[in-house]
Amino acid sequence: MNRSIRAEPAAVRLSGVVKRFGQGAPAVDRVDLQIAPGELVTLLGPSGCGKTTTLRMIAGLEDPTAGSIVIGDEDVTHLPAEKRDVTMVFQSYALFPHMNVRANVGYGLRVARRPRAEIADRVAEALDLVGLGDYADRSVDALSGGQQQRVALARALVMKPRVILFDEPLSNLDAKLRQHVRGEIRALQQRLGLTAVYVTHDQEEALAISDRVVVMNAGRIEQQGSPRELYARPATHFVADFIGSANSVPGHYDGQAIHLGNARIAHAQEIAPGPVSVIIRPEAVRIADDGLAARVVSVAFLGPVIQVTFATAVGAITANLPDDSREDLREGADVALAFGPRGVHLLAPVAS
Amino acid sequence: MTDLSFRGTGAMRLAGFTSPVVGWTLFAVACYLALPLARTGRAFLPLDYGLHPVVLGPALHWLVVVAAVAVTLVYGRPASSGPQVRRRADRALLAILVGVAGLGISLFAEAAPFGFGALGAFLGLAIAAGAALSEGNRVRGDAFTGAGIVLCLTFVTLFITYPLLMVLRSAVWVDGTLTLAQFAKTFSSPLFLFVSNRFTDVDEARQVALWAAAGTAAGTAFGLWQTRTTALPRRLVLVALWLVGGAIGGWAVGIMLWGRGALPSTLLVAVIVAPSATLLGFALALLGQRTNSRVVRGCLGVASVLPFITPPFVIGFSMIFLLGRRGLITYDILGISPFANPLYGIVGVSLSQILGLAPVAYLIMRGSLNSLNPALEEAATTLGASRWRVFRDVTWPLVRPGIAASLLLASIESISDFGTPLVLGGDRNFLATEVFLALTGRYSQSEASVYGVVLLLLVLLVFLASRWMLGVRGFATVTGKPASGAFLPLPRGLEWGLLALAGLWLAFILSLYGVIFYGSVVELWGINNTLTLRHYVEFRNTAWPVVWYTIQLSVASAIPAMMLGGLIAYLVTRHRFWGRSYLEMGSLLSFATPGTVMGLAYILAFNDGTLLMTSTSAIIVLALVFRNMPVAIRASMSGLAQIDRSLEEASATLKAGSGTTMVRVLAPLLIYPLLAGLIFAFVSAMTAVSQIIFLVSAGRNVATVLLLSRVERGDLGVAAAMASVLIVLLLALIVVLLIASRYLDARNRGKGLSI
Repeated sequence: MNRSIRAEPAAVRLSGVVKRFGQGAPAVDRVDLQIAPGELVTLLGPSGCGKTTTLRMIAGLEDPTAGSIVIGDEDVTHLPAEKRDVTMVFQSYALFPHMNVRANVGYGLRVARRPRAEIADRVAEALDLVGLGDYADRSVDALSGGQQQRVALARALVMKPRVILFDEPLSNLDAKLRQHVRGEIRALQQRLGLTAVYVTHDQEEALAISDRVVVMNAGRIEQQGSPRELYARPATHFVADFIGSANSVPGHYDGQAIHLGNARIAHAQEIAPGPVSVIIRPEAVRIADDGLAARVVSVAFLGPVIQVTFATAVGAITANLPDDSREDLREGADVALAFGPRGVHLLAPVAS
Repeated sequence: MTDLSFRGTGAMRLAGFTSPVVGWTLFAVACYLALPLARTGRAFLPLDYGLHPVVLGPALHWLVVVAAVAVTLVYGRPASSGPQVRRRADRALLAILVGVAGLGISLFAEAAPFGFGALGAFLGLAIAAGAALSEGNRVRGDAFTGAGIVLCLTFVTLFITYPLLMVLRSAVWVDGTLTLAQFAKTFSSPLFLFVSNRFTDVDEARQVALWAAAGTAAGTAFGLWQTRTTALPRRLVLVALWLVGGAIGGWAVGIMLWGRGALPSTLLVAVIVAPSATLLGFALALLGQRTNSRVVRGCLGVASVLPFITPPFVIGFSMIFLLGRRGLITYDILGISPFANPLYGIVGVSLSQILGLAPVAYLIMRGSLNSLNPALEEAATTLGASRWRVFRDVTWPLVRPGIAASLLLASIESISDFGTPLVLGGDRNFLATEVFLALTGRYSQSEASVYGVVLLLLVLLVFLASRWMLGVRGFATVTGKPASGAFLPLPRGLEWGLLALAGLWLAFILSLYGVIFYGSVVELWGINNTLTLRHYVEFRNTAWPVVWYTIQLSVASAIPAMMLGGLIAYLVTRHRFWGRSYLEMGSLLSFATPGTVMGLAYILAFNDGTLLMTSTSAIIVLALVFRNMPVAIRASMSGLAQIDRSLEEASATLKAGSGTTMVRVLAPLLIYPLLAGLIFAFVSAMTAVSQIIFLVSAGRNVATVLLLSRVERGDLGVAAAMASVLIVLLLALIVVLLIASRYLDARNRGKGLSI
C-alpha cells in the first residue's frame, strides 16, 4: 500500500542561518541544524523564539539574511518556495475557500500539469491516507476543524515532498483531538518515511512525536537531542523549565553527592564540584523517613497524582505524588523528602 | 507507480535556454526583425516595410540584436550554483539595458514615431529585464513578479508621470527659454483673479484686505491659545505659522466673496459644495442604514448610482430646463424674470455639484457607518446614554474619518469638475474650463499648462491638508469577527426630518431625470410640446455609430484597467520592491489629477516625436485606462487585505508560481472587487468627457463630446434623446450585473466562497 505516495526523503542542512527583520535583534541568529532523511525534528520554543521563521526559511517563504540552507545536495538558500521540493501544513490550514476538498488536494498536481488520471488516483490515495476518502466533493467550509486539518495534510502529502513542514498544525484543535491527530501525523510520517520539520510551542506534543527536539530561545538553538535526553539532561535552566516542569534549588556538589540543606543525595555527573543548581523533576520527589526537612504548603488533586508544594530550607519544591501516599498530608504537616536517583540533574549555578 | 518528476527542480531548471529571460529577449528580437520599426504620420501602426530596421541602415537600434546574442551566449552555459545563476542574470540584465538604450536613443534622436517592431521589442525587453531581475535575486519573487514590477513601473512613468511633467515643462518653458513669464501673465489676468471692479460702488480690494486682517488676527489668537503650553522659541515659530495661515485663509475668504475670476470661483464653489454634499450624504446614509422601510432603502440605493451613469453635464443641462431663464419652475411657475435668474454662476454650479456629489458622499458614509460595531452603541446604551448622547459620544467620533474622506473627495471632484461649469458657469470662469478654453479658444499651450499646474497644486494641497487633518488612519473597529447586534434606531423626530430631506432630494432628482426624458419626446421643449419620436430617429441615424464606437472604446479600456489595477494592487500589497511607493503614489496621482489636466498632459506628451499617438483610438483608450485604473487598484487592495497570506504561501509551497497563484487562487477570491473595478471603469469611460475632450478627432468622436456639442448647438431634443439612451443603457447594465452577482453569490455560498 501507499506505493505512490512513498517519498524520497532528503536531508536538510542549515548553516549559520540569520534572519533579520529591520533593525534590532535578529529573529533567527546563526542557527546550525542538520536533519537526517526520514527524521522528524521538532522546533520547540516560546512564541517569538524564531522557530516559525526558521521553518519559513526552509520552506522558501522568507529569504535568509545570511547563512545557507541545503536540501538533499542542492543549495536552496535563495530559491523561492515554488522551486523547492518542500510542502507545508499551515497553522491556519490555508485551504482555498473557493475549491472543494478534491480540488484543494489536487491543486499542486494541476499546477504541475500532471495527467488527469494520475491526479485523480493520487488525490484519492492521499484522501484515503488521511481517512477522508468519502469527503472529496465536500466544500472545505463544510468540514470540522480536524477534517480541515487532514485535508491540509493530504494536500501536502500528495506532492511527495522530500521534506514536509508543519507550522503548529494542531493549535486550532481542541485538546482531545490534538492528542489523536498528533498520533496520526507521527504514524503517517513513520509509514511514509518522510523528512519532517515540526514547529510547536507545546512541549508535550514535541516530546510525544519527535525523533529529535530542537529547543529555541531568542533566535538561537538552546539545546537539541532526543526527547529523553532533553528531559533527563537539560543543558540550561531555560530548557529544564520549558520541557516538563522542574524545581530549581541551590545546592552543593562534592563529586559524589549533592548536599541539599540537611539532606545528602548520591549523584554522579561530570560537573565541577562546588555550588550548583539542582534540577528536580516533580515525580522524582518522595516522602521518606529521613531527608530534607519540609513543610506542606498546599495540596492539589490532579486525578492520577496529587501535586504538593513544600517549603524547605532551600526554597519551594513541588512534587507529584501518588494519591495513596499519605493520608495525613495536609497543609502544615512536617515531613522529610528524598529524591531521585532519576529526575535529578545538576546545572551550573545561576549567576546572581 | 513511482514518479520522480518533482526531482531536479530548482537551480538546475534555470540552466540553459528555458529561462524566460532568453525567451522574452528572443521575442523582442523577433518583433524587431519581423516588423517595421517606425511609421510615418498618424496612421496607427501600419505595416510599412520601408521602415524596417534593415532598410533603415546601420544605427544604434541594431544593438537590440547584439543584446539578444549576448543574452543567448550568457545563458548558453549552464549555471548550477546560486552565485553563478546570479552573475548570469546580472550580465543578461546589462545586455538588455544596452539593447533598450540603443533602441530608445536611436528612435528619440530621429523623433520617429514608434512602429509595431519597436513596441514589441520594448515590451519583450522589459519583460526579459524583469525576469532577469528576479533570477538575479534583485527582486524577491519569480519572473512573473519581476516582469510585472518592471512593466507597471514603466506604464505609470510613461502614462502618468511623464505627461504631467510635460504640463509643468510647457508652463515654464516658453519659446525655448526657462521662464516664469507665463505664470506672471496668467496670474495678473482678470480671467484668473480680478478684485477691483471700477463699475461697482464697493471697494473690493479694501474688503479683501479687511478679511485678510481679520484672518491674521484670528490666526494669531488661535495660535497663541493653541501653543499656550509650548516653550518660547518654538512657540514663536508656531504662532508665526498660524499668523501666516490666518492671513492666507482670510485673504482667500475675501477674494472668494469679493473677487472674480477662475481661482476665487473655483475655491468658493468647492468650499460650498464639499461640506454640503458631505452633510447631505451623511444624513442619507444614516437614514439608509437605520430605517426599517425597505422602500426608502431601495430608493436611496438606486438614486446613489444615478450620478455615476450620468454624463457629467447632463444634470446641469436638465437644470437649465427646470430652473433656467425660461425654466419650468423659475419662469412658468414662479414667474422669475429671465434677467433676475440666479442659476448661472456660483449658485447653479454649486447646486448641480451638490446633487452630483451627495451620492458619492452617501456611499463613503454608508461604508463608514457599516464598519461600526453595533456592540459599541449597545454598550453606550447599557451605560445609560440617551440615543442622542450615543450619537454624539460614540457614533460621530467614529465616523469622522469617513467625513474627512468624503470632504476630500468632494472638494477634489468639485475643483476638477469640467462639465458643470461649462454649461452653468455663466459669466463666471473656473479653472478646469479655463484649461480647455486657453487651449482650444486662445490657442495657448503654455497658458493652459499654467492653469493645469495651478489646478494640480490645488488638488494636491487639498489632499495633503486632509492627510494632515486625518493624522493617523482613524479608528479601526474591524475585528474580523462578524459583528453581532443591531444598530440603534434613530430618534423619531430625526428620522422624520431625514425622511423629509430624502424625499425632497429624491423628488428633485426624479424631476431632473424626468425632464431629460420629456425633452427627448417633444418637438421643442417649452415651445412646441407635441409628442414625437423624431429625436430618437435622428439619434439612430446620426449619433448611434458614435455611441457604439464609445462602447467599444470603453470595453477596450475597462478590461486592461481592471487587470492592471489588480496587478498593481497585488504587487503593492504583497511584495517589497524598489519603487513600490512610487507606483502607489503615481496611480493615486492619476486619480486625483483633474480630467482636463490629464487630457492636456496627453496632448502635450503624445502629439509628436517617438510617442506620437494623438488622433488614434489608442490614445483615448490609454487615457481612460490610466484614469480609471486607480479605482480598480483600491477595490483590489481592500479585497486583498481580507485574504490571508497563508493561502498564497500554501500555493507557493505546492509549486505554483506567483502568476499561477494570482489566476487560480487570488482572482477567484477577488471576483467582486475586480468586477466592481471593471464596472466602474466601463461606466466612467462611457461618461468621461474632460480627460478625452482634447483627444477626440474627426471620425473618432465619443458620445459625451458629441452630446456636449449638440447642447451647444441647441439641438436639445437629440441631446436629450442621446442622454436618455445612455442613462437607460448604463442603468440596465448595472441592474443586470447586480442580478448576476447575486446569482454568483448564491452559487458561491454553496461552494463556500464567502470568506
